[in-house]
Amino acid sequence: MEIVMSGIAKAFGTNQVLRDVSITLKEGEVHALMGENGAGKSTLMNILTGIHKADAGKITIDGVERTFPNPREAELNGVAFIHQELNIWPNLTLLENLYLMRPKRNKFGMLDKKAMLEEAQNTCRELGIELPLTTEAGLCSVGHQQMTEILRILMLDAKVVIMDEPTAALTERETATLFKMMRKMKARGVAIVYISHRMEEVFSECDTITVMRDGHTIITKPTAEISVDEVVRHMVGRSIDEFYPARTTTPGEVVMSVDNLKPEGFDNEISFSLRKGEILGVAGLMGAGRTEIMRAIFGVDKHNGGTVTVNGSVLNCKKPEDAIKAGIAFITENRKSEGLILDFSIGSNITLPNLSEICPSHVLDKGKLNSFADELSKKLGVKTQSIHEPASSLSGGNQQKVVIAKWVGKKPSIIIMDEPTRGIDIGAKRDIYDLMNELTNDGVSIIMVSSELPEVLGMSDRVMVIHEGRVAGILDRCDATPESIMTLATGGQ
Amino acid sequence: MKKLLLLLAMAVMVIGLVAGCGKSADNGGDKKSGTIGFSVSTLNNPFFVTMKEGVEAQAKALGLKVKIVDAQNDPAKQANDISDLLESGVSVLIINPVDSAAISTSVEAANAKNIPVITVDRSADKGKVVAHIASDNVKGGEMAAQLIVEKVGKAAKVAEIEGIPGASATRERGQGFHNVADKDLTVVAKQSADFDRTKGLNVATNILQANPDVQAIFAHNDEMALGAIQAAKSAGKTIFIVGFDGTADADKAVKDGTLAATIAQQPDQMGKIAIDTAQKVIKGEAVEAKIPVDLKVVKK
Amino acid sequence: MDSKALQYIKKLGPLIGLILLFIIISVMNDSFLEFSNLRNLLRQVSINAIIAFGMTFVILTGGIDLSVGSILALSSAVMANLIVTGTDPVLAIVLAAGAGLVLGGINGLVITYGRVAPFIATLATMTIYRGATLVFTDGNPISGLTQDPLFHGFGQGDIAGLPVPAITMFLAFIALWFVLSRTSLGRKTYAVGGSEKVSYIAGIKIDRVKIFVYALTGMLCGIAGAIITSRLNSAQPTAGAGYELDAIAAVVLGGTSLAGGRGHIVGTLIGALIIGTLNNGLNILDVSSFYQQVVKGIVILLAVLADRKKA
Repeated sequence: MEIVMSGIAKAFGTNQVLRDVSITLKEGEVHALMGENGAGKSTLMNILTGIHKADAGKITIDGVERTFPNPREAELNGVAFIHQELNIWPNLTLLENLYLMRPKRNKFGMLDKKAMLEEAQNTCRELGIELPLTTEAGLCSVGHQQMTEILRILMLDAKVVIMDEPTAALTERETATLFKMMRKMKARGVAIVYISHRMEEVFSECDTITVMRDGHTIITKPTAEISVDEVVRHMVGRSIDEFYPARTTTPGEVVMSVDNLKPEGFDNEISFSLRKGEILGVAGLMGAGRTEIMRAIFGVDKHNGGTVTVNGSVLNCKKPEDAIKAGIAFITENRKSEGLILDFSIGSNITLPNLSEICPSHVLDKGKLNSFADELSKKLGVKTQSIHEPASSLSGGNQQKVVIAKWVGKKPSIIIMDEPTRGIDIGAKRDIYDLMNELTNDGVSIIMVSSELPEVLGMSDRVMVIHEGRVAGILDRCDATPESIMTLATGGQ
Repeated sequence: MKKLLLLLAMAVMVIGLVAGCGKSADNGGDKKSGTIGFSVSTLNNPFFVTMKEGVEAQAKALGLKVKIVDAQNDPAKQANDISDLLESGVSVLIINPVDSAAISTSVEAANAKNIPVITVDRSADKGKVVAHIASDNVKGGEMAAQLIVEKVGKAAKVAEIEGIPGASATRERGQGFHNVADKDLTVVAKQSADFDRTKGLNVATNILQANPDVQAIFAHNDEMALGAIQAAKSAGKTIFIVGFDGTADADKAVKDGTLAATIAQQPDQMGKIAIDTAQKVIKGEAVEAKIPVDLKVVKK
Repeated sequence: MDSKALQYIKKLGPLIGLILLFIIISVMNDSFLEFSNLRNLLRQVSINAIIAFGMTFVILTGGIDLSVGSILALSSAVMANLIVTGTDPVLAIVLAAGAGLVLGGINGLVITYGRVAPFIATLATMTIYRGATLVFTDGNPISGLTQDPLFHGFGQGDIAGLPVPAITMFLAFIALWFVLSRTSLGRKTYAVGGSEKVSYIAGIKIDRVKIFVYALTGMLCGIAGAIITSRLNSAQPTAGAGYELDAIAAVVLGGTSLAGGRGHIVGTLIGALIIGTLNNGLNILDVSSFYQQVVKGIVILLAVLADRKKA
């Protein structure tokens, strides 16, 4: 089966995710799809498998134009998508998962377990893998769950298999098994789309590489004819223009130092420091552990050993309230579930961490509360009719401004921002960058975790790169380039 | 909005319908018209249902109106029920108290309004009551013990399954039972099962487990006795079981031979006598302060 | 209809229901609206309302308290015992509230430091407290209390034509309304129910807020227990069984979300009045007690359904 997608475009609201994408998937070929987060890789594959509808462009399969109405239809026609979140029922056995949608029945209409087990075992043998078929999926490793999913798709006679970051949660041995499976599939003539950030895997396992950026396909080349450097350059290729305001602050003395901190689940210890008025960018691939480090510092999650020193005194980071007392604020990446109480009004959200400062007597003074919230809401440019509107009525960008407002109101000396501009529009982004500059001018230090490379490069005084739960390197502003960051983030030297 | 109105309309209809068909007597000005109020402790127990039926039957026969409220075994609800009855205007109040101590304030409230009070089955600790209608529970307990002495023999090993701890029936039946049993029987176990059949089954099972040589069981009511029968059956034992109250189920069990005997109260008689007494009170006739209702031993 | 007006109606929903109920019952029986019956009604409502006020706080934090009836019984027993052994009755009432506070506080501690789900924790303490009451009273009601007029008045008396329990209820209502809508503690109660995670990250001591709401509920149960003790002039070991459901029903009828974070104590007062009016009205209308339960259930269901339609 050969699939040709050409001229594909797709917008979500005003956000043009795909502009003009073309890609050809050939029988028996492993095709790597690379690009930064938000480049449009997943959207493209979602269009192919019928999850989304393209606004423009066409898809031809073996020369015939065709679109699938839903993923199930795509799967039945041999095009299957294995998402990062596996489609597995943890309370069923692997075998039951395999046959859930198309059970085998005996002549009495009862489930024919024996026949199913036999067939599954045969397929496993053919692919050279071993699976605990009668164990509950929830008790199996992620690797086994993923193999089950792949097996399920192969037993549907899949011709095109898309895998989104399949090795993200696998151990080295499991990864090796996966690659073995992929080679068998390839030999059967299956076309594989391999979405990954990991250079070494892509270069060892894939035949062709396509790089996407900003909704365009930048380049498609056989792996043998392209170098790692070239791929990275194409991935981050845009210049960092005047979109980012100039940094005018000169960082001062160290205000916070993290020494040998070991967040729960980490094998390595984390050490770094933050200076007064500095913006420390934190870059890395998804799942590298950036968020976990920040949560451990703030006391949201546990840690096993290490110290955090703020302004000379050791911080007991057991609970957020301790971190707040030490003058730290934390803007989490999930503003809907951790940043805002959506039922609360904008004003109530802004005043929430500041109640005891505004009303020391613990009796609410509505006048004071309103003027406090109003002032901050105006300062951050929250676009709303009144601060009494519920937070749920705001757009993403304005919601983010409310989250920032509530922490700015606390007058912290250190602000940790986790993906501060994710999913918000350009205008609001610029507002937030300006505010960050203003804050650092006033002596506030900021740690900014971001998956957007241009943002990291545009705003940071220094960049800390995290790779698989350890500090891969800390780059000064002058040394930080897209290439140097990507190299560190993907495990290169 | 339309749906909301529809829902409200439905609510009105439901209440109207229920109020219409749920009424036990016809409507009309109730104030001081000879209506009788009857507050029953619970209708979750066949004994009191029979009592209620006795009240209803006799009231119908005499052409009297009676308002019935069910306290669902909650003394506080009974206090509310009685204040509602007093508020809606009744001439006589028949109370079957949930608890003798707790009912006092309600009796006093009726006294303050000059509404005469008749108590049935359980008495009131305080307040003025014109008549108390009850079986002689102490005597009934003695009758049960004597029956066991007669049929099983002196010094027989007996288990006692008690009612709700502290309830007057529990106290009095237990007292009567022990008046005889302490001399002539060996009481090997004594446990409460709250007058409840399921609990009676569990308690009896436990007792039989611990004392396999029990020859007879006295349960403070039939419900618990019926539970005990099941327990004996599962344990594969033949035990002489005596209940108390004489409910329809117990009568049947006696006929079947599974229950040795029950000390039958006559709740329908209590209800009937209560209405008769109430009628006398309305007419201004004198009534006895204590009206005993006969108990009888029902056995095969 | 614009959303503002709809919001307004949504808030007024329970009140409209109560008024309708009043109209229906008074049309069917004229003695219902008499002043003496309304007083009677308020006296009957007060106990459930006082417990339901506390339950509102608990439910606003996203929790539940099943142990209210048992706390009521145990603090009532403690109080009666104190009076029988010669303690000043007024002091005994205060101590009953204190006992409730401690018992509720234990609930809070189990839920926060023990990390037990509120449903399970209070299910357990419900049984424990009930058992403790039976042990403490030996299963017997404690009667033969005092003739002290202050003690009697607490459950049975009237001041200026209003029943004392109703006055207690209104005082509790005003105080708790103030706490809930005018203090940072009230705001935090909503915040914890709105999102525990957001509150935690915002540095709110959510454990303290939770312990507070359970202790408050316990204290209110103690007060309700004192009212019952005075009203029945005795302490019943089985008192309060099933009261948790009436309290939860009042809270839900008042429009408070069981998921937490949304609702108000004003609604709870109205909810308790609706339940009380149903009890009283159906008795006055002489509806058979079997049907009464059916009607109560249907009204709760209709109220919740109507609330959902409007949302």
